[in-house]
Amino acid sequence: MKMTQAGNELITYALGSCCGICLFDPNVRLAALIHIMLPLNMETGRKNTMKYADTGIRETLKQMEAKGARRPRIVAKVAGGAKMFAVSGSGSLGNIGQRNIESVHKVLRAENIRLIAEDVGGSVARTLSFDPTTGKATIKSYGKPDIVL
Amino acid sequence: MVIKNYQELSSLEIDTLREIGSIGTGNAATALSGMLGCPVRITLPEVRIMEYNEAIDWIGGPESVTAGVLVHIGGQLNGIMLSVQPLEFINIILDRMLSNSIEDYGQLDELQRSALLEVGNIMISTFINALSGLAGLKVELTVPSLTVDMQGAILTVPMAEYGGQTDYLMTIGGNFSCDGHELPCRLILSPDIRSLNFLLRKLGVEDD
Repeated sequence: MKMTQAGNELITYALGSCCGICLFDPNVRLAALIHIMLPLNMETGRKNTMKYADTGIRETLKQMEAKGARRPRIVAKVAGGAKMFAVSGSGSLGNIGQRNIESVHKVLRAENIRLIAEDVGGSVARTLSFDPTTGKATIKSYGKPDIVL
Repeated sequence: MVIKNYQELSSLEIDTLREIGSIGTGNAATALSGMLGCPVRITLPEVRIMEYNEAIDWIGGPESVTAGVLVHIGGQLNGIMLSVQPLEFINIILDRMLSNSIEDYGQLDELQRSALLEVGNIMISTFINALSGLAGLKVELTVPSLTVDMQGAILTVPMAEYGGQTDYLMTIGGNFSCDGHELPCRLILSPDIRSLNFLLRKLGVEDD
């Protein structure tokens, strides 16, 4: 997870089945970018909080609030959750992206965070950058035009 | 000793895996040689246990685009095996098999993709065959699948599958040389921890 209040651009590379979540409080210009890999933290001890959608988002919100962000003002933009390989009959492998997206939605809803834009699913990897001065997220993919959210 | 994660592997165990890697790549080179119709030499492969970020750097950065062939391993051994194919590797294969070449991954047509998929599949299968033969395991492989995209995202596939257990991958790197060209061979094997323990036991590695 990366957080900035100085207006530097935040970037996370090559999101495959992973999800990138931008959380932004425009009033205090505090932005955070989380790169989660799995939907639910089932580790004993829960050490790697930022690897999972549930603990990652909650922990980031906590840290943002400690820096002066207020929950009703925080908005979210999400990208990722692609299916990288079309593998037949391999159980959970193809669904991890989808499960990540669902988990991110669920956690954001439970935490009362507004999801204002997203580009999820599909089968291409994405590089997600977030510019806290404009509040815009840019998504780059291989062989596709950039998307601005 | 039963290991819980990759970092706990002892040097003897890593040596065993390296030997397997060596035999596996040898077989893969033989298969490649048969397919390309030219002698293929290999350098001594290097088997390493790498953290995800290190593995990304090893294959050349998260955003560079490559082709990856993925096969799921089932049966007595569970895991994922990936073959990462850089452009120069692809071009030699295409040149030898189809007498054409590409400048960008976007130019790959259906026949070329199918050729790459098959090459990846055969290399992975021969590797796994050598491994399962050596250890006396019954292993099944799924139908292979090819994707062309950012490497970082390709590598997260085995990471996400076993991400709850470990942040480490087993990488097998060596160079094939064919027709005076050096071909980097990058294989990534990610067995789940239970399978890795089972494999080491089957190979008779006991150190406690």
